Amino acid sequence: MSIQDILLQQLANGLILGSFYALVALGYTMVYGIIKLLNFAHGDLYMIGAFIGFLALSVLSPLIGDSWVGILCSMVLSMIAVGLLGVLIQRIAYQPMLTAPRLSILITALAVSMILSNGVMAFTDGEYLAFSTDLGYEGLELGNVFITYTQMVLVGAAALLMTGLYLFVHRTMYGKAMRAIAIDQDACRLMGIHVNRIIALTFFIGTSLAASAGIMAGTYYGSIHFFMGFVIGLKAFTAAVIGGIGSIPGAMLGGLLLGLLESFGTQIPFIGTEWKDVFSFGILILLLVFKPTGILGRTEIERM
Amino acid sequence: MIENHLIKKENQMRKTLMLSAIGGAVAGLFLCGQVMAADLKIGIMVPTTGSEATSGKDMENAIKLAAMEINDGGGVLGMQIETMTGDDACDPQQGTAAASKLVSADVAAVVGGYCSGATLPTLKIYGDANVPFVIAAANSTKLIDANMGNAYQINSTGFDQVATAVELFEKQGAQKIAVIHQGDGYSEDLAKLTRDKWTEMGKEVVAYEVVNKGEQDHSALVTRIKSKAPDAVFWTAYYADGALLIKQLRQAGYRNLIAVGDGSNSPKLLEIAGKAAEGVYCFSNPTVDYLPAAKDFHANYKKTFNQEPDAYAALAYDGMKLMADAINRAGSTDKDAIIKALGETTSFTGIAGPVSFTDKNTLARSNFVTLIAKDGKWMLNE
Repeated sequence: MSIQDILLQQLANGLILGSFYALVALGYTMVYGIIKLLNFAHGDLYMIGAFIGFLALSVLSPLIGDSWVGILCSMVLSMIAVGLLGVLIQRIAYQPMLTAPRLSILITALAVSMILSNGVMAFTDGEYLAFSTDLGYEGLELGNVFITYTQMVLVGAAALLMTGLYLFVHRTMYGKAMRAIAIDQDACRLMGIHVNRIIALTFFIGTSLAASAGIMAGTYYGSIHFFMGFVIGLKAFTAAVIGGIGSIPGAMLGGLLLGLLESFGTQIPFIGTEWKDVFSFGILILLLVFKPTGILGRTEIERM
Repeated sequence: MIENHLIKKENQMRKTLMLSAIGGAVAGLFLCGQVMAADLKIGIMVPTTGSEATSGKDMENAIKLAAMEINDGGGVLGMQIETMTGDDACDPQQGTAAASKLVSADVAAVVGGYCSGATLPTLKIYGDANVPFVIAAANSTKLIDANMGNAYQINSTGFDQVATAVELFEKQGAQKIAVIHQGDGYSEDLAKLTRDKWTEMGKEVVAYEVVNKGEQDHSALVTRIKSKAPDAVFWTAYYADGALLIKQLRQAGYRNLIAVGDGSNSPKLLEIAGKAAEGVYCFSNPTVDYLPAAKDFHANYKKTFNQEPDAYAALAYDGMKLMADAINRAGSTDKDAIIKALGETTSFTGIAGPVSFTDKNTLARSNFVTLIAKDGKWMLNE
């Protein structure tokens, strides 16, 4: 492989990884934008999404097979289920805390995260489950760069979801209401916007995006585990901060950027793969020093 | 004064009496020993309680089975073996107590040792009492240094796994290899030993990499490895992340040899990696499932104990047989003679393979076996 091939391949790797980060980062950023909560349970909802998708697929696969149709159906089911779970969590755990000091709700979010991951651990005995699907390794070979069809479909699906979200937030009344709440909740209430309903909707959309990423990762990597949300939760949070937390295009950009940084970071001479995370988190620190609001973050004018 | 004198005399008489009584008892014991010399007492030291009780009991069963077979075949030097179990509970303190119990019961020899941590402090006790000790399962390299010369390890150590791995790579014509570990003590050790050995042989380690635990996406690493075109990739860590790496290597079009260490010896690896795992090699301790010579043992064990033999049953069984073989060759139950005979073992072949020892009392030839994944199952590579 020539150096160009390697870099091209790493570009592809980074884009795929980055789409996962972006999908999860979106939920972080939306929730933060609307109620200024860092929802640390977000990574765990990604994990729950993978597990519900796994359950749905094992029930559905005798009927419709475990290829694309089956995966798509279980993904939709899982997104709805996890979206509702997100709303439920918001209602039970976060809603009563909205007027409490910011730290209380942050700790509540950590508690929810523990409950979710340990609950799944208890159910699965901490075992790795094999997420077997019928997806093959066929793909396109461009010179020495190899991309499987599965990878292309995953990136395509992520792009579709993100475009859909962008249009929803910027072209619909609901989206307008979300953006309005992000600016001033009290004013929205006075204008007759159902604030609580819109917050619930935001949670639904944010967590179902995480669930979609979870099931995509499950089918793509082939195994799921109760702890799988932890690392990606951290990375997605990082991505959201890089892009400017609260900004939707920022989360997408931050996710892709972090994915690319990690991929190219392994390619730097004399720095082994063990430094991959040091490299990407180092960039994060540098960025925060020079632009604390993130790439697309604006200071307190508008979020979303 | 007189009273004192009388008391002294009485004391003296008592002493004499006591001495003669002790003498008589000793003589009696000696005579008894002569008359009842039909028994050869062998100690078994394994954990029969605690977290590792299942494995310990499995070893105890296997040792007892070996003793029964030896007894049925006429015993050792005409004596019948009688076993006595000391429970080390996989705990250093309990291990010390168990060893002291066995030594004070005057066993002729000891077979067992499952947990390295519990076995380590017992080496001094057996060493001081000069009791021949065959360590069947415990295989920490620390045992090598603490050995006082009376103990013999019949389970391969980390060094042996490296030897088996390197042998496979060489046989498959590999020149350039990539070694990947996970940064923990176990997998890093194995990786380091492999790298050193391979470079020592004048060959090239083109990639020596670490993967963070819990990382799911290895694509960047895979691209890096693929660009260096190694003939073999050796994963030294555990099955869950190993399965993902194997999958992604194959997905990216890497077609050469992949091997995994014994930490990845799990059916779960094959389940997660699916068809990508076909043809992957794995190194394993000699467990009953993969030993062609263990068929009879397997059947007998099942018949006698009504359960399946576990991971170290084969080695425990071999340990007892080896001990009996050494006592036979020593021609007496003299401890020095048995220890010497153990060290001179050259022609003993157990179900886990032939046994002979290095000058450090470890196995001269690795008994690690190489497995290959075929149709979603681990099979012995022949």
